[in-house]
Amino acid sequence: MDLVVADNLVKVFPTPDGGEKRAVDGLSFCVGAGQIYGLLGPNGAGKTTTLRMLSGLMVPTSGTASLAGYDVATQAQEVKRVLGFLTANTGLYQRLSARELLVYFARLHGHEGHAAEARADHLIAWLNIGDFSHLRCGALSTGQKQRVNIARALVADPPILIMDEPTLGLDVLSNRVILDFIRRERQAGKTIILSTHYLDEAEAMCDKIGLLHDGRLVAEGDLNTLQREAGEQRLSSIFLKLIHADQAVGAAGA
Amino acid sequence: MTFPHRIRTIYVKELIDILRDRRTLIAMIVVPIVLYPLLMLGSIQAVSFQHETMEQEALRIGVADDAHRRMIHQLIHVDKRALAEKKASLDLQSEEASQLPTPLDDVEIEVFQSIDDLQRAIRERRIPVGIVFDDEMLVDSIERQVKAHVHADYEEPRGTTAARRVEGLLTRTNERLRDLRLRERGLPKSFLEPYTLESVDLSAPSSILGEILPLILILMTITGAIYPAIDLTAGERERGTLESLMVCPVPVIDLIVGKFLVVTTVAIMGAALNLGSVTATVYFGGFDKVIASTGGQVPIGKMVFILLALIPFAVLMSAIMIAVCSFARTFKEAQNYVTPVILAVLIPGGIAALPATRLEGVMLVMPVGNMVLLAKELLLGAVVGPWEVVMVLLSTTLYAGAAVAVAANVFGKESVVFADAGSLRGALSRKMVKPSARPSVSMSLLVTAILFPVWFFVQSALSPGLDEAAVGQLYGTARWMPLLFVVLPVGILLYWKIDVVNALALRAPSVGHFFAAVLIGLSAWIPAHEINVLQRSLLGTPETIVQSAERFIEAIKLLPSYTAILLLALLPAVCEELLFRGFLLGGLRASVGKWGAIVISAVIFAAFHFIVFRFAVTAGLGVILGYLCWHSRSILPCIVIHALHNTIGVLSVLKPQWQRYLGIADSGDSAAEWAHLPLPLVLSGMAMLILGLFLCRNTGKTAAP
Repeated sequence: MDLVVADNLVKVFPTPDGGEKRAVDGLSFCVGAGQIYGLLGPNGAGKTTTLRMLSGLMVPTSGTASLAGYDVATQAQEVKRVLGFLTANTGLYQRLSARELLVYFARLHGHEGHAAEARADHLIAWLNIGDFSHLRCGALSTGQKQRVNIARALVADPPILIMDEPTLGLDVLSNRVILDFIRRERQAGKTIILSTHYLDEAEAMCDKIGLLHDGRLVAEGDLNTLQREAGEQRLSSIFLKLIHADQAVGAAGA
Repeated sequence: MTFPHRIRTIYVKELIDILRDRRTLIAMIVVPIVLYPLLMLGSIQAVSFQHETMEQEALRIGVADDAHRRMIHQLIHVDKRALAEKKASLDLQSEEASQLPTPLDDVEIEVFQSIDDLQRAIRERRIPVGIVFDDEMLVDSIERQVKAHVHADYEEPRGTTAARRVEGLLTRTNERLRDLRLRERGLPKSFLEPYTLESVDLSAPSSILGEILPLILILMTITGAIYPAIDLTAGERERGTLESLMVCPVPVIDLIVGKFLVVTTVAIMGAALNLGSVTATVYFGGFDKVIASTGGQVPIGKMVFILLALIPFAVLMSAIMIAVCSFARTFKEAQNYVTPVILAVLIPGGIAALPATRLEGVMLVMPVGNMVLLAKELLLGAVVGPWEVVMVLLSTTLYAGAAVAVAANVFGKESVVFADAGSLRGALSRKMVKPSARPSVSMSLLVTAILFPVWFFVQSALSPGLDEAAVGQLYGTARWMPLLFVVLPVGILLYWKIDVVNALALRAPSVGHFFAAVLIGLSAWIPAHEINVLQRSLLGTPETIVQSAERFIEAIKLLPSYTAILLLALLPAVCEELLFRGFLLGGLRASVGKWGAIVISAVIFAAFHFIVFRFAVTAGLGVILGYLCWHSRSILPCIVIHALHNTIGVLSVLKPQWQRYLGIADSGDSAAEWAHLPLPLVLSGMAMLILGLFLCRNTGKTAAP
């Protein structure tokens, strides 16, 4: 069963000169339960915009998308209940302790009274952040912050996780924490959409990869399929070859 | 989780967060507690020190020739003797003795070459004061009256002080010489002064502090709201926490309401601390005595009152600040937006603070200005009527509500949340607007909030003078109402590609709803009349309201029947229903639930009538109209009710004979007009109304909003 379905998604932004920019242009894909879907592409390909539309943070200009059967445009609140969202840039409330922050988000996700505290304590134990959960987030290291952020994304125990470059700018140790976490979540049956620039990460983690260029999907499939299509072994070579091919097609079309 | 739970969660978190911020604490606690006492003590001490120094300085007087020098020496001599005599006659312990001026012992008189020379010296501040008599003055001569000119730079403190001392000398010697001359001739004082004049000031005792305090507090309340408003909106974006908040299953309006309440709390806490600090400084610093000695009063007893009056102001300012800061992506951007807003707010605030400005006319609904005026009037001890208070609070609530709704709309907007999603200007351009079924709650509240003072202004401008008939007002209203209530909202709907038919609920109603409307329209006047009579017997009606109602009735009588019905029944029915049940209720429909939407639109509907004594009845009618519109999803039945209701009112003025058929006495006097209706009529009217409402509820199914 597909938990995430995007159907002909389009997002148009106004440009300062009064024109329009099609950031996402007719994108369709689906992700099955328990799968990790890698959304790859160069800068400006439309990955972040796609993930924001899936999370209900942006409204699609046209097309539809659904998470666990809920339409992102018309059932945004239901979509947010089944979704955990994580990016490398997501900030934390500097003046709250990690535990206070988790309790707050647990309450926003509907855990009332002591249930919110119990959920926060459970996540603190599970992600092993008890040593610094009493400290204010402003005093935490980048790696510690990212672990608190993971706990925040998991506060509602969502079946779907959307991660927009979650390892961007992290050191090796923090990076490993994130990747271990993604693996564990997959084992727990979660559906994950992962956007990343690190192709070796995608190669190692993803069940299915969608290659995005200029807002369109230029290739999709598991690693074997992409290797066959491109006639290359390494994902980085496949990536370059397919992007160049798409650029050539675009240039010929123009 | 319910709405109050979510608001509480957001409120508690945001309050803890903001109170842990050093900058908030400095602005809110350290500044008032440390800075005020320091500033006040410092400045007042500096002023009093300067004043004392100048008083104790040897007085230097400039004159234009030697004759003047002699004359002044003579006058000083006269003054000394007079003061010595006066002192001897008084009990040294008495208050009068303690207030006697000290004689001018050490006066230096400097002789200049000419009057021009003397004046130049004063302008160049080489000498503080000069005296010029227009003729030689002999103390004993009674031949003529001489004029004394005191020359000084009155803008300069030293000049003012010296001039005051010289004027004191001249006044005292003038009186002394007059008394001596009268005594010589055996005449009493009353010979020259048939009566003495004493002004008895019945105004509230003025107070320097009392006049400055509201301004200080208003500024401090604004200042108190700025930082948290920026921190909780633009700051959230800048720190990157907004995305994680926006992916929570919480409506944006809840987030904004929670944040708005925190900003209001901090602003009120700031105002209270400022007020407390000023009070404590004045009281413990001994300034109450200083101020009292200058004839002023310290309104310490009114402090709590002032704080209460500040709360609605804090609410409005917090709402405005939250709305403005919601447009900004960064702290710096927000600060840039806030500055012009503060200036814009200070203009009506400043107009209100002017001594002659009163809480009346357009000032009643002027945003910010009306709040400042209300606080000022209360502080000065003026009697403020319930109508004024209701108008101020209602309009302020409407403006604050609209500002919060705008903030909620903007706060979640992707073009504001994400820098790469284009500018807000781009997002507001018509090209990027997606067609929608109905206006947003912020759009409908904002348009209504703007229309409110505009409509009040139109009505004030059209209202006739005391002797004029109100016919002009009726025609004027008929011209303006379609423009403001219909053309403007429809234009806005078209620009934003909103489905006009759906937004204004212009579809045909079911037969049942139409029938319900006829029943309600024919019967609603009966309970309305009974409530009016009850209200009048309990609360009375002010004479001005009665007079204006009488003039209104006279105006109706001057019109042909069909014109009266067109102007007073059909036109308002169509225009008001389009605005209140169409545009406003349509916008509120999806956001605040059935009863929230009905009650809010009914209260605003009643407020737009600007008659507080009809508020309950008009709001009640608004609830019925809203209820019918909600269930029928059409404003046509509402137009039917409204038109029938108003037509009955017009006919009871123009053709009162029909009332006889219902057993209503038609004696034509105003007593009969305010009598209860016959019981059978009341009972059958109520039955018709209830049947109408029952039909309305049970005809067809209510479609989901």
